[in-house]
Amino acid sequence: MAEHPPGSSSPQQFSVTPYGDSAVLLTPTSTDPAERRLAATRLRAAVAHHRPRGVVDLAAGLESLLVEFDPLQVSHDLLEDTLLLIAETSDHVAEAGDAREFVIPTVFGGDHSPDLPSVASELGLTVEETITTFTGSVLTINLLASAMAPMMAGVQFPRQLARLAEPRTDVPSGSIMVAGTNAIIQPFPGPTGWRVIGRTPLTICDISRDPAVSFRPGDTVRFTAIPQERWDELAGEFLEPVGGLR
Amino acid sequence: MTTESAFTVIRPGILATFQDLGRRDGERQGVPSGGAADQLSAAVANILVGNPRDAALLEVLAGGLALRAEAPLLVAVTGATATVKVDGHPVRQGEAVHLDAGSVLDVGRATAGMRCYVAINGELDAPRFMGSAAPEARMGFPQNLSAGQQVKVHSAYQGLANPFGQPLFRLPVPKPDLTPRVWTVHIVEGPEAHAVEGIHELLAGAEYTVGPNSNHVGLRLAGPVRHPEGLGEIVSHGVPVGAFEIPHGDELIVLGRYRTLTAGYPIVAFAATSDLPLLGQAEPGRRLAFRWISREQSVERLRVQEGELRMLEQRSKTALESLGVPIDATMA
Repeated sequence: MAEHPPGSSSPQQFSVTPYGDSAVLLTPTSTDPAERRLAATRLRAAVAHHRPRGVVDLAAGLESLLVEFDPLQVSHDLLEDTLLLIAETSDHVAEAGDAREFVIPTVFGGDHSPDLPSVASELGLTVEETITTFTGSVLTINLLASAMAPMMAGVQFPRQLARLAEPRTDVPSGSIMVAGTNAIIQPFPGPTGWRVIGRTPLTICDISRDPAVSFRPGDTVRFTAIPQERWDELAGEFLEPVGGLR
Repeated sequence: MTTESAFTVIRPGILATFQDLGRRDGERQGVPSGGAADQLSAAVANILVGNPRDAALLEVLAGGLALRAEAPLLVAVTGATATVKVDGHPVRQGEAVHLDAGSVLDVGRATAGMRCYVAINGELDAPRFMGSAAPEARMGFPQNLSAGQQVKVHSAYQGLANPFGQPLFRLPVPKPDLTPRVWTVHIVEGPEAHAVEGIHELLAGAEYTVGPNSNHVGLRLAGPVRHPEGLGEIVSHGVPVGAFEIPHGDELIVLGRYRTLTAGYPIVAFAATSDLPLLGQAEPGRRLAFRWISREQSVERLRVQEGELRMLEQRSKTALESLGVPIDATMA
């Protein structure tokens, strides 16, 4: 997918910090945030692919990876060595080979978009221009955040957007939200500090399905504006990639 | 041969749910492992009835559950201290107990600790999400038990091959020590401890009280707190269960098994994994003291605990087999 980040051949592109007796945090050492994010994404894919002995689970940050492990199966030192070895080769793990494409119908305006006016004015754009910029962006899913919410990068806003100073306590499922130049979809009703600019009638996550979501890190997403009149027709439909699930 | 047994929930108490040790591979997809807050007591309950450690069982918040066996069942109750009765007669926690069809198991109000675990020989017919019976309420999977609910159990248990009607064996059972007034939790240094002057002395010297708005997401502790200096903003990153966070306010948060997976607060310490079961039992008002240990010592404590569990698995298996109780093949 993207070209090699400079410095990726260096064996020490990650720092390793012990997080208690059963976890370590790996943080890319690059000074460039975009490089750090790319390195973290690749490392996560590589560790998930190799599944080193003793590793129990992974928790992804945008610029880091928490590796949770069973210290009775693997020692800290051995695991650290293994992870750094994996990091060295993580550029070569194909993760985007089977990337899929999503187009998500979204209603902008009214109750669905409480933060759209303030987002537009912060960006120095009209509401129309803000929507056009957003729907014209091709986003990439970086990771699955809380409750499998797709965390996406690549919104072509002219500047980074702040989060809400006072988080909203109850945002409905399907809400499309932005912060920085990232976007995320609220899979279930709940609180958020992200800014709500639209809402999709589709079901993002359905726990009666296995898997409960149809997207994975590396997939691409575009949003397309639909009129409110189409809401009922699409409401509750499960989000699937372009061309259907395969 | 597996037959179908069942029990009926007479009353669930404040909150009773299906539970197990949590989901695997969920956190990489944004779903916390979750599972029993006191993993040790949940594993022990299962071992005592011949199940694998991670079998589905019941978690009872603060006690108060009653259920009626609709077929012969072998059960064990562990965790929070409570008076447990069968048809009105007290039975011991931490032991396998036989229920005749029609017998009522009553788990009284917890007097120390927060969560009782009730394991039943066999496989509970509990809904699963991502392969686990553990609740995930945020995603619409609460797993609450309600009065009148009948739960099927796939079990070959028919009763005991002894004339007394009860297993009558008593094994040394590893469990969190809920008896002291102040519970001591061992902690390991966290990555931002260096930025908080005097944090070692502070945590080692003071007592903290579990706040009323604590739950399986995190314990909120009241007590002396100092804030870090010169750290700048921390980019949000993955956080493990047992992390001691210092948020902006004057409190200390210890993350539980249903934590939000990423956070950007300074972390001054981590609970030793071997003491997470104890923290999982900490009720509002409970006083806690902390003792610093090295990471190596912390791993060693976990190794000791695991050894005790394996010993219990062997002994329980031997005892149950001699009584003709069906044992799950995956049990050690």
